[in-house]
Amino acid sequence: MTTDFVALEGKTRGYRFFAAVLGVIALAGFISFIISYIQGHQVFGSNNVIPWGMPIVLTIYLIGLSAGSLILSSLTYVFGREEYRPIARMAVFLAIVLIFGAMLSIAIDLGRPEKFWRLFMFFYMNNMSSMFAINGILYGGYFIISLVYLGIIFAGNHRASRITGIIAVGWAVLVHMGTGAIFGFIAAREAWFSPIKPLEFLAAALTSGVALLIVAVTLTLALSGRELKKEMVASLGRLLIYFIIILLVLIIVDKLTHLYSPHREATLYLLTGQYSWIFWGFQIGLGVVIPLAVLFNPRLNKTIGWVVTAAVSVVIGIFFERYYLVIPGAAYPMQYYPGKIEGVWGSTGSFPLTPVEMVLSVGIIAFLALIFILGLKYLELLPPGEPAKEEVKESVAEAGEANNTAKTSEGQ
Amino acid sequence: MARWGMVIDLDKCTGCQSCAVACKAENNVPHGSPEEHERRTAPFWHKVIAVSNGEYPAVRIDLIPMPCMHCDDAPCVTVCPAKATYRREDGIVIQDFRRCIGCKYCIVACPYGARSFNYKEPEEKEYHRPDLPPERADRGIWPFPHRVHGVVEKCTFCFHRIDQAIREGKKVGEEVVPACAEACPAHAISFGDLDDSDSNVSRLLSSRQWMRLREEMGTSPKVFYLTG
Repeated sequence: MTTDFVALEGKTRGYRFFAAVLGVIALAGFISFIISYIQGHQVFGSNNVIPWGMPIVLTIYLIGLSAGSLILSSLTYVFGREEYRPIARMAVFLAIVLIFGAMLSIAIDLGRPEKFWRLFMFFYMNNMSSMFAINGILYGGYFIISLVYLGIIFAGNHRASRITGIIAVGWAVLVHMGTGAIFGFIAAREAWFSPIKPLEFLAAALTSGVALLIVAVTLTLALSGRELKKEMVASLGRLLIYFIIILLVLIIVDKLTHLYSPHREATLYLLTGQYSWIFWGFQIGLGVVIPLAVLFNPRLNKTIGWVVTAAVSVVIGIFFERYYLVIPGAAYPMQYYPGKIEGVWGSTGSFPLTPVEMVLSVGIIAFLALIFILGLKYLELLPPGEPAKEEVKESVAEAGEANNTAKTSEGQ
Repeated sequence: MARWGMVIDLDKCTGCQSCAVACKAENNVPHGSPEEHERRTAPFWHKVIAVSNGEYPAVRIDLIPMPCMHCDDAPCVTVCPAKATYRREDGIVIQDFRRCIGCKYCIVACPYGARSFNYKEPEEKEYHRPDLPPERADRGIWPFPHRVHGVVEKCTFCFHRIDQAIREGKKVGEEVVPACAEACPAHAISFGDLDDSDSNVSRLLSSRQWMRLREEMGTSPKVFYLTG
């Protein structure tokens, strides 16, 4: 079973060109990071009202995608669903790359990134009541467990890979709930403060992760001329329906509880304020309505093209869910004192999308895509396929593109 | 051990902002341009907010000076992953710039907006005191002798003044007070030991009506506002 995976040859001009482009973008991102490190965070859009910006949006988004990958791989290695085996290794590797990207984004968002190691001095230098410190354990552990998991899969030990798979999936659930807790446990930010946030994050993670995998898998298999089973895509689409509905229920419950509580101004601002079009148009429209309309339509939900369209729509929609939570979610001014706070202290926060921050964000994604295609070249991740192996990288390009479009379209 | 607290008489406050200016001068808090202030990237340790209720002509304006509340149950201390923010034994919540990694979680968690991030390299890098918690001051100012960008700053209740006064045997609250209390022309700000029933702050609190900001957050702040 384990021998029927191959590495990408990666000798074609297209592969090298694509790797070079990604390398250049990643380098631009690195230069942006150096600029932000020397100049300070004034080159970012964040400020004392909206303290977190695009790197944190990216972090929670990448963590979510990582979950979907890992959980899909567990369908094969834990539950023995053979139809997903061709993409299972790639899914685990993708999960590792994405969690690495998430940790990288956090480190970049620190004001003093050279002190990031302090996040990993558990119990000694860390205040373990902080969700950040707890998440340090969760993220670090997730990264290590995923690496071990991939190693065991490479070694071809079925029993061990099953056990590690169970641990990895359980740990992944903890990772996402912990990430939600970062936001949900903050009483000062009324729009975030909710016990449902961890579950909402988990649901969003599963939804976006499975959606991205539908896109990536379909493109990979189709473009490399490998056999693509309609049933597999359709069954993934059905899986996606469940996740979207769970997510929708959690979003509704979350908003309703906030609207019922006396501190409803921040949530009202999110639902009806200046930027509510992001919520209704992207998070609900692209993330829920369009995919559900497609996936429930009995004629459309069996065609690969439409299922992939729905998946792309979900991927973009969930990105904007994260964006809307982190940036406009913090914008509503805090009520220090009952009444209308005059002047700058009571005005809604603004968040200019600065070039440095945008290049940095795109650079992180390009860097991850570069690691991913290098992984395809040097590790045996792909199922064998006689014709046109080198075209696989195209699909990766497309998958990366999906992320990039999500980024750039919001940059306007 | 004393438990330092501040009492601000809103009936006396004229909103002149002397406290905010004195704080900037005392602690050398970097000045921001008007644009930076508008964008909210200029650091403020102490601010005065104006809160209006009602419509003209029946309008009421409250002027609230807001230093750090030095909460007994401070959310920033709970969320700081690096132990950079901690509560001293005398109740002052301190920010240690050497430990701060700049994750901004405390800014997110603070219900009073009392914390500022250093968004750029400050022109005036010197503090009037070493940027160290006082119990470490004997080790010198290594390794961050200067103020740097990328860390979070906040009001310290001028702990350097308090510590020096205690070393010199002066009476905190009468002879020595934080810079904002000293600068207030209306004598609206009093400072002292909340646990000492003879202190001026305790006397004020027992004789007047008072409130604290955002009590519903359960932070039990140590800055009290006299309202009647």
